[in-house]
Amino acid sequence: MFQEPFMQRALLTALILGPLCGALGVFVTARRMSFFSDTVAHSALAGVAAGLALGWNPSGPMVAVSLLVGLLILWLREHTELLTDTIMALLMSGFMAAGVVAFSLLRGFRGELHRYLFGDILSVGPPEVALAAGLGALVLGVLFLRLSPLTLVTAHEDLAHVSGVSVRRLNLLFVVVLTLVVAISIRLLGIILVTSLLVIPPAAARNLACNLRQELALSLGAGLVGGGGGVILSYQLDLPCGPTIVLACVALFLLTLGLSSLRRRPSVVPAPSR
Amino acid sequence: MANIQFHPGGIALEVRSLRVTLGETQVLRGVDLHVPRGQVVALIGPNGSGKTTLLRCLLGLQKADTGEVRVLGQRVGPAVLKRVGYVPQRLSLDRSFVLSVREFLSLRLSATRHWFWQSRRRTDELLRAALPDLRLEPLMDRPVAGLSGGQLQRVLIAFSLLGSPEVLLLDEPTAGVDTPGEKSFYELITQIHRQRNLTVVLVSHDLSMVYRHAARVYALNGVICCEGTPEEVMNADSLREAYGIHVTPYHHDHGPGHHHVAAHP
Repeated sequence: MFQEPFMQRALLTALILGPLCGALGVFVTARRMSFFSDTVAHSALAGVAAGLALGWNPSGPMVAVSLLVGLLILWLREHTELLTDTIMALLMSGFMAAGVVAFSLLRGFRGELHRYLFGDILSVGPPEVALAAGLGALVLGVLFLRLSPLTLVTAHEDLAHVSGVSVRRLNLLFVVVLTLVVAISIRLLGIILVTSLLVIPPAAARNLACNLRQELALSLGAGLVGGGGGVILSYQLDLPCGPTIVLACVALFLLTLGLSSLRRRPSVVPAPSR
Repeated sequence: MANIQFHPGGIALEVRSLRVTLGETQVLRGVDLHVPRGQVVALIGPNGSGKTTLLRCLLGLQKADTGEVRVLGQRVGPAVLKRVGYVPQRLSLDRSFVLSVREFLSLRLSATRHWFWQSRRRTDELLRAALPDLRLEPLMDRPVAGLSGGQLQRVLIAFSLLGSPEVLLLDEPTAGVDTPGEKSFYELITQIHRQRNLTVVLVSHDLSMVYRHAARVYALNGVICCEGTPEEVMNADSLREAYGIHVTPYHHDHGPGHHHVAAHP
């Protein structure tokens, strides 16, 4: 299995993106930004269609459209009276509809559409591995160097401002980083399931963690095991890659849920009365 | 508990002709405010009176239409905010973000900001040295999101004190705190005010706390309606001006001097 070059690339990408999404997901879920990552992912379809129509590798336009949508959400939130949910639903449906219409006009790309929607390990080429490795090093570096301000902004933005954190700049950095991670992860997981790798590993970690350090470490580990394990299972059982990774992560969540309920179960032997 | 003593020595907060419009509503309509240094003061007013907007202006979080805000003699900006402590009413965390009290406090101290890589013992030593008498050890391993109202206030005050502030601004500090928690909160405020000679500004709609714990009271309702000692401000005329309705201060059995307000439209 590991002699196949495409398999090596897919596994390596999963082992980079899994922990990356796991660690980042702790803050994505705490800041209630799961819908943001869903919006960015679904909008990326328009970028894929544009890339295919122009005869380019779709990765570039996909990342560009994702970034555009991420920044548009921020801009519209600051400059209009619209609710954030409304902005995201508007952009997600608009860009996704444009992508689907563009795909319907392009002939011979039905298979491509399916690959981008549900992920495909065969579509992970050397440029995607290099991009994931570069991005992984950059994001984990930024995350751990800026861990204290990011945690403080998550706890209370005004308190972070008074404590000397440049809240606006940090929020912008977080949005750009999250958008890039989502766009790169689409190749592996697909547009529809990419957010699950940001949500399920942190949820699994929370079942066992007593503090943020443990939560980050466990979520990173759950992403690593779920991502790597999912790719191996998908190859062995000839299953689609993205959904298999998600199911591996769900299995980890159920395992940690079981462990946490065992840990919390009260003793069946009553304490002796005095 | 005795009223906190007056300590003259300059102006901590200075607001001149401050006007702020939010949407279609002019929330602040020319606020003038001078808070002397080293006092415990209260900024009171009914809901919607502009207390939070004024607090946000003092913290540089809200732009004004016109007017001027000076904190410790300077325009509000990153330099002067280093000398200000802010205690919000609550944090925006839910129980799923398991930030412990130790980790939360570590975020404020430069020596502990790399808490992820630091040993617990080292972090505790540094925090204990910075906060020698706040009795936070039993809370250190607890998740911040699981603290009671009183415990959270204590932790938030400790967080602010780690920045060695000269002014402490507290937003609705006793909202959601039970009566014993309220008592220990004011004991803590009195203790840190005595030890550190801070200017403490309590922003609240709760008149009962004002009488016993503030040296000076400012009543806000779009403008500063009245200011003075608690006895001066707590008379019915002043309160009616601030709250826009007929009000009568009365005593009840929380303890001597504990005032509540009966409102009559």
